[in-house]
Amino acid sequence: MRRSLKIAAIVAAVAGLCTLGLAAETVKVGFIYVGPIGDYGWSHAHNVAREICEQNFPWLETVYVESVPEGEVETYIDQLVRQGCNIVFTTSFGFMDGTYAAALRYPKVILAHCSGFMRAPNLATYMADFYQVYYLNGLMAGALTKTGKVAYVGAFPIPEVKRHLNAFAIGVREVNPNAEVHVRWIYEWFNPAAAKEATEALVAEGCDVFAFTEDSPTVVQVAAERGFPSFAHYSPMYDFAPDYVVSGQLVHWEAIYLDFLQKVHDGVYTNENLEHVDYWWLLSQKAVEVGAKPGMMINPVFEDDLKAYIVDHPVFGEISAYDLVMVRYNQMADPGVTFDPFQGPIYDRRGVLRVPEGMWMSVDSLITMEWAVEGVVGPWPGEP
Amino acid sequence: MKRVGPFVLERRLAPSRGAVLGISLLAVVLALLVAAVIFWGYGVNPWHAYRVIFQGTLASPQGWAEVVRRAIPLILCGVGLVVAFRAQFWNIGAEGQILAGAVAATGVALFSGLPDPWLLPAMFLAGFLAGAVWGMIPALLKVKLRVNDVISTLMLNYVMMYIVEWLVHGPWKGPTARGFAYSDLFPRAARLPLIPGTRVHWITLVVGVAMAIACAFLLSRTKLGYETRVVGQSQDAARYAGIDFLKVTLWVMLISGGLAGLAGAGEMAGVHYRLRSPAHISMGYGYTAIIVAWLARGSPLAAVVTALLFGLIFAAGDVIKVALAMPFQVTDVFNGLILFFLIGSELLMYWHIRWAPKRAASEG
Repeated sequence: MRRSLKIAAIVAAVAGLCTLGLAAETVKVGFIYVGPIGDYGWSHAHNVAREICEQNFPWLETVYVESVPEGEVETYIDQLVRQGCNIVFTTSFGFMDGTYAAALRYPKVILAHCSGFMRAPNLATYMADFYQVYYLNGLMAGALTKTGKVAYVGAFPIPEVKRHLNAFAIGVREVNPNAEVHVRWIYEWFNPAAAKEATEALVAEGCDVFAFTEDSPTVVQVAAERGFPSFAHYSPMYDFAPDYVVSGQLVHWEAIYLDFLQKVHDGVYTNENLEHVDYWWLLSQKAVEVGAKPGMMINPVFEDDLKAYIVDHPVFGEISAYDLVMVRYNQMADPGVTFDPFQGPIYDRRGVLRVPEGMWMSVDSLITMEWAVEGVVGPWPGEP
Repeated sequence: MKRVGPFVLERRLAPSRGAVLGISLLAVVLALLVAAVIFWGYGVNPWHAYRVIFQGTLASPQGWAEVVRRAIPLILCGVGLVVAFRAQFWNIGAEGQILAGAVAATGVALFSGLPDPWLLPAMFLAGFLAGAVWGMIPALLKVKLRVNDVISTLMLNYVMMYIVEWLVHGPWKGPTARGFAYSDLFPRAARLPLIPGTRVHWITLVVGVAMAIACAFLLSRTKLGYETRVVGQSQDAARYAGIDFLKVTLWVMLISGGLAGLAGAGEMAGVHYRLRSPAHISMGYGYTAIIVAWLARGSPLAAVVTALLFGLIFAAGDVIKVALAMPFQVTDVFNGLILFFLIGSELLMYWHIRWAPKRAASEG
């Protein structure tokens, strides 16, 4: 009995020492970005999150590499590992193959790949998605349009952007059933010139409210010049047109990074148990935010207009657009999410039933969405 | 003879090999000195910077491997461009020819249904042919319609870029890519073996060096090579000698475009394993190869050396970005400085500068 007690004590002491050793050890994390950190979108947002992590965790040391071509990601992972990184985040879908190969070659290193789907015991995946936020923006846009035509400037016709556009259109039509969402594609993530051209084309079509996916504030600026309201994308763009930016989509990658790093530090995540770790974080996890700048969900300039716009809603009866936004936001932001924008019945614009009555979509079908909802007008490459 | 202040410039017709090498090295050293000032200005000790760069590239086997890997497409394209430039055909289109090769190789890898052992040879062959066809279009345009070759080759780059974009967004978008604009992954049999522990697809490297030797032989020892050189020296003389301008131009561009196409096939089978956005496939290798060829001064074998030099510069840029945490633009600044000094040193190669104050000259 005494003997086993002694053994237990020794085991406990050793275990304690081990955890102490682990806790004292600094964690070195490498971030690989596809774009320059000076862009006004994706890579910039990841880099802001990296800085927040570094401020939060005294045991954390970070390095980053920007503007990494997709095919070169393995080389950069090699270099980061050689420099002593124990965790590497790769932040573009195109890095998937290289990250996976590196995960097999460095079984001791923890990797996490943003927006992909290939996992391994030491490779997790993560994504912060905007579709709920776009839906809420759509509710506001549908209430503010006078011509019944809302504009969307899209980067690429890929499922991610299509999903956001569809969610936006669903919001628009919920408050304004006859409104249309007109779309133009520019086939670039960053191209202010093309974004300007697309915006002007949509103005010419009669659109008077603007949303977009592109990594510059161009659409906001061009719309403001013409006196039209718009929704910011990805970064705080309020300051570019304080009288015209209604709301927008903001990302908080740090929510995911802080959680992940804390769990690695606590020993919850190791290089052997990440096979099923897939972050798909939305409003309720606070990975994304509604607003044109942090803390301001709706620009006060538009509050009265939204409160004056009354909808006869099938669920809530007579309700102002403003209140509807708040109700829907709460339904999605509460930990027990009670609403999803893609709640059936949803038909695509060709009349095919895509989501049956009362059903929600799975993450898998959300991230492979190719169809367009009713009310979307314009080209739609790859439409099934 | 030309007088600049107290200096006299005398034209050198053919600079000696020693002079070329010495002056080029001097240019590189000067560029490194100026780059040192930039490092220092950014707050990085230049001595430390160069030590880190050296350790990350030439001092380690993995570093060397990266230098060689980045040089592989440059060797193939550079050798091809040397051949074109010898015939005074200004092929600015290697970038598009690389992509043509990449597209053809992808087509074979994904859709040919060939038995496994034939897949890689067929990919290289298809890559060569596609690059050659893409290169021979401007050749025909030049000979038949007198279309400026610089413009037509350059513009065809953009055409090919958009073809690749269209393919990955349209018909070749892979079902396994979940809607993203990528083709499917190549089957295992369509991927080149790598030197273990590195990313060097050595077969493409061997092909590149073999092509350099073959082109050196072609230019110096064959009838076609002789005709190429005559056309390059003087088109009128070539016509007078009865050399078929059309035939020579087509052959030259078949080789030049074909080698770039091989580079594209090699990148696909050795690095990417799937068709993706064109900017991520070639990354300007076709444009860098112009400088590689230009510095090689008409010698295919020298192009192997200059390609390795640029492989080193690229690899050094990677090290600068990661180990020194400098902004990515610094790589371009670094490359630009080396180029600036190399091109600037041209003057020294063809002009001999002599100190000769006026008075001394008039007395003499």
